Amino acid sequence: MVPLPETEQKVTAIMDDQPVMVFRDVVKIYPLPAGDVTALDRVSFQVDRGEFISVMGPSGSGKSTLLNLMGCLDTPTAGDIYISGTRIGDMSDEELTNIRRDRIGFTFQHFNLFPLLNVIENVTFSLMLRAGKDVGTKRAKEVLRSVQLEEHLYTHTPTELSGGQQQRVAIARALINDPDILLCDEPTGNLDSKTGTGIMELMTELNRKGTTIIMVTHDQNIASYSNRTIRISDGRIVA
Amino acid sequence: MSGGIFFEIAKRNIRIHMLRSSLAMLGIIIGVVAIASMGILGNSMVLAVSESLRTVGDSVIITPHVGGSAHGFGGGGGIGGASSLTITEQDFLQIKRVSAPNIAIPVLQTSDRMKLGVGSDDIVAAIYGLNPDDVPDLLNLKEGGYNRANSGCLVGSKFAEDHNVKVGSRIAIGTDGDKGTLRVTGIIEERGMAFDVSTDSAIVVTRDWFGGAYNRNDYDKVVVKVKNLDEIADVKTAIEKQLNRRDTIVDVMDTRKTMETLFTAFGQITTFVTAIGGISLLVAGVSILNIMMMSVTERIKEIGIMRSIGAQKQEVMWMFLYEALILGVVGSLIGGVLSLVGGYAISSMMLNTTKYLFVPSSMVNIVYGVTFGIIICLICGIYPAWRAANLNPIDALRHE
Repeated sequence: MVPLPETEQKVTAIMDDQPVMVFRDVVKIYPLPAGDVTALDRVSFQVDRGEFISVMGPSGSGKSTLLNLMGCLDTPTAGDIYISGTRIGDMSDEELTNIRRDRIGFTFQHFNLFPLLNVIENVTFSLMLRAGKDVGTKRAKEVLRSVQLEEHLYTHTPTELSGGQQQRVAIARALINDPDILLCDEPTGNLDSKTGTGIMELMTELNRKGTTIIMVTHDQNIASYSNRTIRISDGRIVA
Repeated sequence: MSGGIFFEIAKRNIRIHMLRSSLAMLGIIIGVVAIASMGILGNSMVLAVSESLRTVGDSVIITPHVGGSAHGFGGGGGIGGASSLTITEQDFLQIKRVSAPNIAIPVLQTSDRMKLGVGSDDIVAAIYGLNPDDVPDLLNLKEGGYNRANSGCLVGSKFAEDHNVKVGSRIAIGTDGDKGTLRVTGIIEERGMAFDVSTDSAIVVTRDWFGGAYNRNDYDKVVVKVKNLDEIADVKTAIEKQLNRRDTIVDVMDTRKTMETLFTAFGQITTFVTAIGGISLLVAGVSILNIMMMSVTERIKEIGIMRSIGAQKQEVMWMFLYEALILGVVGSLIGGVLSLVGGYAISSMMLNTTKYLFVPSSMVNIVYGVTFGIIICLICGIYPAWRAANLNPIDALRHE
């Protein structure tokens, strides 16, 4: 963790041992030539450790903006966001990047594995970002076993894997640094229903073992795997 | 440090785009070869000329002023004739006096027909007339001994080689030998191109024989051999002051200064041709910039993923700089090796020798070429790398 300024530490100290993520009156406005667009309007919620939350809402409701803010890819126009007690509002790009690397795991609808790297290298990539190249493969193999990927596939490149296998590798990559939150953007959106079910069962299993998961989805069936749903419409949480 | 994985990705990206990368490297190779070969050629030229002129860097050459009032008009010109402008004995004595204690050597010069044996064809060669006492100060012998008699002569090494002349050979001077026959007493060491006397393809006779044969008393030039090189400019000034005080009657050339001017000119020519090579390397750099920009554009999404899972801006930047660096290092090193071939070929063709190729002052041009190639690639990689590093991760992730 990058040490925070003293004033920031006071803020985070109060939040220690508090929810893994807190949104407090978060506003996000995009200034556009045609006029400002309010993507999120005073959004507040919190995510406790070990929760499995799905975020649902129609297109244009603000889901992507919410995901970007939760993933520390963006900062709010107003309001506060805390990740495990650390306020991210005034952080530099470098600090936000470190938060993404150390505390947040990302998976995407299109898996987004690195085509030039094999399975093991894809999974250890985030670990390498933190620890350098010679991180070994022990940890990666552990995580890959936990996402139930067959060992003979470890040296394959992403193009040699099925969609379900790629998503398992993506989940392993997201888990390698033992993040506080696993953020999943439509994790089954690019998979057939049987494979999607397998992925959701895996995520349920990971959650049962203690991983906090926030999942953005359109699919009510997929959302049913979570134990709480945040519904968003027109930039506001409606349920 | 996570540089290793980014270096690995850069290597693999080059490998999967092998054709594109090879073409970009080809530009670098051509640029480096152009720069290094031109540099080697220029340096070889300077070395070749300086070797040719090394024996005359200590002289002041005095010749009659061309275009001014002349002291005398000798006979004719052309074959068997003297030049039209000469230096009188009186002028020579003044030169000798002001340049003392340095040695002043009067030189007579013409060209004439000569025959090397019965039945052989006439040839035409330069003839120098020198005082026998001055010859050892001016010329070194490769074979035989110095000539003191009017019946003898010395020949240049190339003359001897071309016409199979040996010590003891006889040379009939003039049309049908009308000027007389001289016996070769010695062969002069090769001197190369020279400001004072170029004897390699000439014969050297005594001043007395020359004066009698060509009816000459005045001189074509005077060579002052300066013992202390620091005084060369002073000697030149003193001679000019003495002889040209009323009118410019002689031109005085300081060979060291002339050589410096010559080398400066060679340096400028070398710089110019190397700069042309440099332009080709710049063009190659633009192609590197182009493929790096293509690489960034193709990998925007990948950059977005990297940034979203925790890669810092500078790590993304280094990934692309590594790519430019690999292209630059590999291309430049190949270019460096090929520069040897290029330098060999150009030196062989233009200088007829490759003996200056492996000297340090030539080899350093390869180091310059390789270094310049790598630096150009790195510079051309900076903008694409910076652009990649500063992409907004959200926009990059959305990119299709």
